[in-house]
Amino acid sequence: MKTSIYGVTGLVVVLIGALSIWDGSNAVDYSTQVKPILNKHCIACHGGVKKQGEFSVLFEEEALAKNKSGHAAIIPGDAKNSEFIKRLTATDPDERMPYKEAPLSPEDIELLTKWVDQGAKWGDHWAYQAPDLPSVPGRSMFASVTDWFSHRWEQNDIDYFITDKLNKEQLKPAAPADKATLLRRVALDLTGLPPTEQQYKTFLANPSAETYATIVDELLASPAYGERWAAVWLDLARYGDSKGYEKDNRLWNQWHFRDYLIKAFNADMPYDRFTKELLAGDLLPNPTEDQYFATIFHRNTPTNDEGGTDDDEFRSVAVMDRVNTTMEVWQGTTIACVQCHSHPYDPFRHEDYYKLMAFFNNTADEDLRTEHPTYHLWRTPEKAQINALKSWVRTNATAAHEKKLTDFLRFAQPTFFYHDYKEVTDAASAPVADLMVLKPGTGTVMLPQVVLTGKRELYLMYFTMLLRTTLDVHLDSQQGPLLTRIPLDTCAFYHEKLAHVTLPATATGRHDLYFTLNSPGQPFPGAKGADANFITEKDAGLSWLLLHEGLPGRDKPGCAAQMALFQSLLTAGFDGVPVTIDLPAEYARKTYLFERGNWAVKGKEVKADVPASLHHQAVSPFVKDLPKNRLGLATWLTSKDNPLTARTAVNRLWEQLFGIGLVETLEDFGTQGMTPSHPELLDYLAVKFRDTYGWSQKKILKEIVLSATYQQDSRATRAVLERDPYNRLLARGPRFRLTAEQVRDQALAISGLLSHKLLGPSVMPFQPEGVWQVPYNADKWQLSSGEDQYRRAVYTFQKRSTPYPSLMTFDGSNRGTCLSRRIRTNTPLQALVTLNDPVYAEASRHYAQQMMRLATTPDEQIRRGYQLAMGRSLPASRLSVLQTLYRQSLASYRANTAETAKLLQSPAGKPELAALTTVASALLNTDEFTTKE
Amino acid sequence: MNQLPNELQQIHAQHQTRRLFLQNLSYGLGGLALGTLFSGCKTTPDNAPLQQAIGSPMIPRLSQFAPKAKRVIYVHMAGSPSQLELFDYKPELQKVSGQACPQSFLEGKKFAFIRGIPNMLGPQTNFAQHGQSGAWVSDLLPQFAQHADDVTFLKAMYTDQFNHAPAQLLLLTGAARQGRPSIGSWVTYGLGSENQNLPGFVVLVSGGNQPDAGKSAWGSGFLPSVYQGVQCRSEGDPVLYISNPEGVTRDVRRKTLDAIDALNKAQYEDYQDPETLARIAQYELAYKMQVSVPEVMDINKEPDSIKQLYGIEPGKASLANNLLLARKLVEKGVRFVQLFDYGWDSHGTNAALGIDAGFREKCGQLDQPISALLTDLKQRGLLDETLVVWGGEFGRTPMQQSVNGRKVPFVGRDHHVEAFTIWMAGGGVKAGMTYGETDAMGYSGVSGRVHVHDLQATILHLMGFDHEKLTFDFQGRPFRLTDTAGKVVKPILV
Repeated sequence: MKTSIYGVTGLVVVLIGALSIWDGSNAVDYSTQVKPILNKHCIACHGGVKKQGEFSVLFEEEALAKNKSGHAAIIPGDAKNSEFIKRLTATDPDERMPYKEAPLSPEDIELLTKWVDQGAKWGDHWAYQAPDLPSVPGRSMFASVTDWFSHRWEQNDIDYFITDKLNKEQLKPAAPADKATLLRRVALDLTGLPPTEQQYKTFLANPSAETYATIVDELLASPAYGERWAAVWLDLARYGDSKGYEKDNRLWNQWHFRDYLIKAFNADMPYDRFTKELLAGDLLPNPTEDQYFATIFHRNTPTNDEGGTDDDEFRSVAVMDRVNTTMEVWQGTTIACVQCHSHPYDPFRHEDYYKLMAFFNNTADEDLRTEHPTYHLWRTPEKAQINALKSWVRTNATAAHEKKLTDFLRFAQPTFFYHDYKEVTDAASAPVADLMVLKPGTGTVMLPQVVLTGKRELYLMYFTMLLRTTLDVHLDSQQGPLLTRIPLDTCAFYHEKLAHVTLPATATGRHDLYFTLNSPGQPFPGAKGADANFITEKDAGLSWLLLHEGLPGRDKPGCAAQMALFQSLLTAGFDGVPVTIDLPAEYARKTYLFERGNWAVKGKEVKADVPASLHHQAVSPFVKDLPKNRLGLATWLTSKDNPLTARTAVNRLWEQLFGIGLVETLEDFGTQGMTPSHPELLDYLAVKFRDTYGWSQKKILKEIVLSATYQQDSRATRAVLERDPYNRLLARGPRFRLTAEQVRDQALAISGLLSHKLLGPSVMPFQPEGVWQVPYNADKWQLSSGEDQYRRAVYTFQKRSTPYPSLMTFDGSNRGTCLSRRIRTNTPLQALVTLNDPVYAEASRHYAQQMMRLATTPDEQIRRGYQLAMGRSLPASRLSVLQTLYRQSLASYRANTAETAKLLQSPAGKPELAALTTVASALLNTDEFTTKE
Repeated sequence: MNQLPNELQQIHAQHQTRRLFLQNLSYGLGGLALGTLFSGCKTTPDNAPLQQAIGSPMIPRLSQFAPKAKRVIYVHMAGSPSQLELFDYKPELQKVSGQACPQSFLEGKKFAFIRGIPNMLGPQTNFAQHGQSGAWVSDLLPQFAQHADDVTFLKAMYTDQFNHAPAQLLLLTGAARQGRPSIGSWVTYGLGSENQNLPGFVVLVSGGNQPDAGKSAWGSGFLPSVYQGVQCRSEGDPVLYISNPEGVTRDVRRKTLDAIDALNKAQYEDYQDPETLARIAQYELAYKMQVSVPEVMDINKEPDSIKQLYGIEPGKASLANNLLLARKLVEKGVRFVQLFDYGWDSHGTNAALGIDAGFREKCGQLDQPISALLTDLKQRGLLDETLVVWGGEFGRTPMQQSVNGRKVPFVGRDHHVEAFTIWMAGGGVKAGMTYGETDAMGYSGVSGRVHVHDLQATILHLMGFDHEKLTFDFQGRPFRLTDTAGKVVKPILV
């Protein structure tokens, strides 16, 4: 079955003539032969979006069901009487399908007829069937022995898949790459940095397969490895150091996510565990700090602080983005269109989307300015206070209470915010101040369905300048029983205060709480200056409200002091790291289908589940023993049952190394995506990655870079270029421009400027004046000091509204949404960056100094400089080009000492160094340097 | 070695004819754009590989049908000016000014800042009818009023978003979220540019801030980054990194480029990678841009009559300067010039944002140069082929800004999604037309309503594109500027 499915992939390949067209069997195959015709000619009117005549060919049961006519259009085994076939050749233009379009070709009609006659069997798209380990084509059982004797080209199993296809295409693999070029390639691929001089020396002295393997191990073990692969995931995770909209304020602590990635990659964390930590680190048993930081992944969604925005709207936007991103990253499935209607081409129903959304819809974040909930990183004094509190709890209760206490202080759950109150009378939210504003005497708001059972302490953050004021809390109506009366002390201008009351022990159950501002409306004398737009001295504003069970040992001496400590910790300073945690069960959100994707129009309620089409075991509801939460989802994603996770992961690695994925559309493995160039190889790599290597990225990368396929020379002959312009068949090695990060890092590395400092907050390298012009935000780009100016690009501060310009010019992402692959462009603006950006001017100067250190004569300096950058030795014809440039600019700088001084930023600058700087700049700008070859 | 120039020439020649271009889909993004365009409403993977931008993606291309406009100047007023003080004259609103807003205007509606029951607010200035067309223009734009017969007013515009950043994104990228290509990116993706020595899509910012949506308002989204808007600036480098580093003379630079060129040609000989050829061409373009960009950005050399016409202030990032630059840029063949002027968010919360204060000043800064632009384009014969669009991201409420009856210190209006005015001039739109009407209070459109997606469809139509067919495949489906909506506003077309 597998062979026939893959054998005819060429059928849908229109433009790449290089792939073969081969019909492997007599039986018509649905996925590869029928589905493309349906997708092209039928499904726009009879599919997930429109169902003309109540007929759809998207799902089998829909296609075979009775339609508007009262009959089924497809009668399996009987094409002659199937309306579906008859309509294709009908003479009446109103009858003939496709409606008002050109008729199908006789071949297509014949194929469809044959398919219906054969029983109209439905099939699964290849990507929705779990991969099996395919046999390696053309490799004998004793390959390892015989290959050694026969000096076969193949180095490992990967190569057999490649030669199998090359043989069919009558192409031959290229010769092995020049050793220096290979070393540069593999170092850039694995670490994002060029090889060190020592690595060149070691490898070129003994360029054996063993030395190569040793160096590969060394590269994989280098800390630079984690930085290089983190960069890929920052695009996927739409990581940013700012919130995204309008004032685009900083996210000061988001960088912990980058650190997490770098550490995880360096530790070669298995991909299944990595997946679970990113999606559900908080739900693991006793999560570590790093596991919480992993969940920043889905807190990288942009948030909107703009005045007057609806927090629930942007919360919904974020949750939907989490669904889309999860499906794109792990499933190569584009689910966004299912927000509004069933998928036009792929087997996903409208409600599949909201079932997936239900996994993510219960997180506690609500598009708040504070980014609540955050993982509080306490400062030293507070740490000591927490320890004191913990020891009180330990003495008076159990270890479980202790954990509950630290979690409460860390996440403050559940907190009610100003937007949770419903306005009843004389109340209005003041979104810019994050307050719910009440008028004295009459102002009333309501918090719906608050659970009081077990809650003893109420803490309220508020602002008022009114004297003799209380906030009266009634149960279930404005006139209901009085629960408590919260005394509100007056505050200084915009200094909120925390009020505390102990609730009566009799308060239990679930209630609507009505809060009325009980006040004569008198501000303290001289009170003024509060912002007239939102709150005046004659109002009170409610900020957040917390309910707590209280400390154990309530009646013991010393408890009051502990309570005071507890209360002070509720308002203590901390660094808040936005993390994903769920709302407590009693406040869990229900998930509804959004009609036509509109968050404001809610349809029927749905429960968390995975799409049936991706889940073949006993079908839904969701695997029975898995929890119906994010951890369950992550477990399912990494189970053997899942057809896509391993495939999308290895495909991404392949794309990074070869410039194009085995499936070119990394983000779409569906029926509209591109068919794999080497389907069996994709499955082979997927299964090896998952089963043999236990999801180890380093191991699978090693296997790939040790293949002969990878080690080929990337020179192309004109004939091969014509046959295979995009190198899908891999009759040559990969050659393509470096990524934005690599372009910068390499220039810094070669010039000796690069800092190898690992981890930490984002940095601000040189950026021209005036690039940040953000409204309502006086924040400035502040040039980092010392080596922080020369850190790897992965550490560059990422302001979403104004990304670092030179990285964007080289196709970097602005991190607004998940990006699976960057489209490489080639523009004059890129040339301007590497020619003129002061970062590159400085790199040229330092690179020239390196050359001076390496040798004494200009020729030798140029030779050594070239070798430093490219690895290989400088061909004579190019030496003469650079000699000419050197001579010309030397003459120019000798004649013009002022320019020399400016170029070298030193009045004593020597024209020889200036001339070498020109040579250095030329080298940094060559195609060879900016390309991995 | 000497076969190279011929080969480059040949590649460029291939770009000139569509037929060859289509045959060579494998060459360049231009091919990709056309491949996508001519496949119509795509239902099948065409496998047009988009991984390599070989050739010149900015080479001019034909649109789907004959365009009325060849280039666009889009003047966006970030913050959104009040239509009720400029074009949408509502004498009835004057009569109820100061009275409480009727419940029907508030029920089920959301406003950014208004809470409780606000008062109605009549027009804060005087209006008169102008020109043959009798269009209403207020006395805040006396010079522009003389152009009433040059423009079409769309008076019943509406949108879905009542906050600045999402509304700007919806207006300029078709979706209220980040990540979609901007209108200028779509246009240059579809058409390339007429002048290879300048960016095809230029952005000019005044008013002290970039718009609330940030650079996403001119981002290329999922389109290749070559189509993102290039911000040209009045201070510092006119385009980032356009100037040689200190100490690099034009002569040294030329010699350096000659060496780079020779090395890259050797590399091409060796590897045969067409990408290298493209890089060779890009370096030459960069060199030319280094001359042409500062030249076009220098407004000092304009004749005094032009300087006076626009009222420019050399050295500042003023709207007047930018409008003059816009004319210069389109004259040189730049495809899309996007202007942003910040500071139109007239809530009345301070003097700058007061309809009775800062707003009047902003109008003063707008009136002369926007009129000058129309005059200037006309006198140069450019207006026929240049589409000028002016407007904000939404409108302003007929109610006065207030929270629970508390007034703001200056006269202000809140954001309003249901009605606002945009005007267009030149390139294929009728001159002297008013299209659409709002109710007596100016609250919402009662006829000729135009959604922002309709505006986008109309602009693309004028550029020669069916908005449903200018698509790009991303995440498994064809995306377009107008998302899943948009209708061309036919009555305003010439």
